[in-house]
Amino acid sequence: MSSDYEYSDQEYYDEDDEQMFDEDGSASDMEIDAFPEDFKSKKGKQKSYEVPHEPLTQAQIEQFMAQDVENISGIFGVDVSIVDPLILILAKDRLIEKYMDNPTAVLVKAGLELPEKQTESSSRSRASQTGPRRSTRRQNSDQPRSGVSKIIERITPPVEDYGPFVCPICFDDTQTETMALACNHKFCSACWNAYITSKIRTEGEHWITCMAEDCSLVTPDKFIHFALKDDKATWERFQELLVRHFVSCNPNLKFCPYPSCTNAVSCPAASSKSVLTTIVPIVCCGASDSHKFCFGCTIDADHRPVICAVAKMWLQKCQDDSETANWIKSNTKECSKCQSTIEKNGGCNHMTCKKCKYEFCWVCMGPWSEHGTAWYSCNRYDDKSSIDARDAQSKSRASLERYLHYYNRWANHEQSAKLSVELYAKTEKKMEEMQITSELTWIEVQFMKKAVDEVFKCRMTLKWTYAMAYYLEKGNQKALFEDNQRYLENAVEELSELIESPFEPETIATLRQKVTDKTVYVQNRNEIMLEDTARGFQEGRWKWNVTVNGFDQAEEGEE
Amino acid sequence: MDARLRRVNKEILDCKNDRASNIQVDLIDNSPFHLKGSFNGPEGTPYEGGHFEVDIVIPDSYPFQPVKMKFITKVYHPNISSASGAICLDILKDAWSPVLTLKSTLISLQSLLCSPEPNDPQDAEVAKHYMTSRSSFEETARYWTMIYAGGPGKEGLKSGAKSGSKDEVAMAGLEKAHVDQFEALGFDRSKVIDVLRRMNYRGANVAKINDDRVVEELLK
Ligand SMILES: [Zn+2]
Ligand SMILES: [Zn+2]
Ligand SMILES: [Zn+2]
Ligand SMILES: [Zn+2]
Ligand SMILES: [Zn+2]
Ligand SMILES: [Zn+2]
Repeated sequence: MSSDYEYSDQEYYDEDDEQMFDEDGSASDMEIDAFPEDFKSKKGKQKSYEVPHEPLTQAQIEQFMAQDVENISGIFGVDVSIVDPLILILAKDRLIEKYMDNPTAVLVKAGLELPEKQTESSSRSRASQTGPRRSTRRQNSDQPRSGVSKIIERITPPVEDYGPFVCPICFDDTQTETMALACNHKFCSACWNAYITSKIRTEGEHWITCMAEDCSLVTPDKFIHFALKDDKATWERFQELLVRHFVSCNPNLKFCPYPSCTNAVSCPAASSKSVLTTIVPIVCCGASDSHKFCFGCTIDADHRPVICAVAKMWLQKCQDDSETANWIKSNTKECSKCQSTIEKNGGCNHMTCKKCKYEFCWVCMGPWSEHGTAWYSCNRYDDKSSIDARDAQSKSRASLERYLHYYNRWANHEQSAKLSVELYAKTEKKMEEMQITSELTWIEVQFMKKAVDEVFKCRMTLKWTYAMAYYLEKGNQKALFEDNQRYLENAVEELSELIESPFEPETIATLRQKVTDKTVYVQNRNEIMLEDTARGFQEGRWKWNVTVNGFDQAEEGEE
Repeated sequence: MDARLRRVNKEILDCKNDRASNIQVDLIDNSPFHLKGSFNGPEGTPYEGGHFEVDIVIPDSYPFQPVKMKFITKVYHPNISSASGAICLDILKDAWSPVLTLKSTLISLQSLLCSPEPNDPQDAEVAKHYMTSRSSFEETARYWTMIYAGGPGKEGLKSGAKSGSKDEVAMAGLEKAHVDQFEALGFDRSKVIDVLRRMNYRGANVAKINDDRVVEELLK
């Protein structure tokens, strides 16, 4: 389809050199129509291999939180302007389901309200029998009544500046400022400050309870703010922890995993584990085009077309690498005399080292001369079990060879993709040369960079197609999959070769034509590969030769 | 003065002044942040008559982070590692509160000796022993108290060896007859003890463990 494709430079190359295939800004010429449908626009109709998602900045996440607060306060029937909003967010996941049944019990459990009666400590703290108890104090302290009123009460920490007071934590009687939650467990504000700072800084904890033993009342953010005084850094860390917590509790949200990026992504389409058998939710946080990641796993930034579970299985297998190790172990040994490596090739255990002529037994590595004597423990291998053992060995060898077939191709694409940094540098240089030796402008030589981009992208796709093919059950579907894979791979290798081939000033026009055509073709093949695989997942077309989570049991005896 | 130092000094003083509780706290080196706590084994338990020492490290963020404690004296107890003395107790972890003190924590350790929690074990083998045969467990715990904590009964215990030397079979909480039986098959005695201990070859369990399985383990 690309062979009859024509273009004119001015229209083909948009002024924006990054987005040269973007239709925005270029005239709606017929040339553009020659591009594959999907090639033209990111904003076009949703592709099967793409998942709708929304990038969120830190500020937008906070907006999300604010919305949530409103919802929750609606459920609890409290006024957002008086209730501590953050504490509601914190409490939400602990509260919402059970709140309807027993509001008081839930509020107590969530650390928002005091228990009706101080029950005997369920904690295993042994001090409770002999140590000083505060439970009596708690019982006779005037108990506030409803959850809501108490939350309001705690917004303003009671600060007292009278009376002799010995702080039960620092034993300091010169501290004049004390603070307490509704439980009235009074401590000096220096201790509160040290405690809250330690919780936030050392433990990264946002759910901070009263310092008294067995008291589960939680400190609201206004209390924390007050206790921290001028420590802005700790306060900011606390708020960060809150946002982190909010995002981690919300299955629709995920933080961008790139270092020091504070953006997040909302992707409700991928919020449940079960959909991960039908989609590969690769998302972008919006901070940069390179901030791509999988919403479903942390395996790789982009493991399309294969789903998370299969990609994970494959990586685990490669990591274990046990089969390779087993092969080396079961097929080569060192001569116990001269240490040269010997590979076994026949069924006979009587081995003779080629180098030193030492004769030994393959099974026990003992000298062959001693075999046949009854005490030799190796003798038991001479019966049927030895035949079985050899049989198993050849079976494991066949399965290993199959694995290596896929692994080598997988690793080759990974390796090539890793070398792309070098390739980019080389290409850049080539593009400079082209400008000097030919009439082409910088924008006009961008076709080279575009080609390298495309090769890189397709190698990532190809890499993961090998992981997928390894686990695909034999049959028509797998054959179709491998056809698409082969077309893409051939096209990519051809394009790679073109990019790296030397160019002559007089042939540069032809080269450019060829590279551009090939790039379009490759892009199209990649599109087909991704699109068809994604559709296959949605239609439940793919069957595996192993059991994959979320799929039916694999058929036995695939090998 | 540093708030942590003031507090620790006061805590040490409190222990010194309180003779009734029988809780002692001493400096190990010259720092008040590395201490040795000690107390007597509670009456009516296999630890009675023993004197138990605990290594105490006061972390920088004390009392906002829990004090670090582990037994120096070897203790046979489901919640205490028989090898390292590490302790599994909630108040030393997430149930810690800054109002707890060295004294109250040591008292908690003392009462831990009274009431083991085998469902939340630190030492799985000891916990298994405890669950399988309480009387056999108590005998072993008592033996450990005698050997390591200066407990009574040096000559009273039947399985006890000459004073000073340890009876490995009693240490492991096993029956001499069982050890003899497998040793007679030609296995090394210490290996037999090791395997039987790991397999919890005690009480009602003995009937459930096939001799062949023991031999299989011994051959490994
Ligand atoms: Zn204080
Ligand atoms: Zn309290
Ligand atoms: Zn990002
Ligand atoms: Zn994934
Ligand atoms: Zn040799
Ligand atoms: Zn042999």
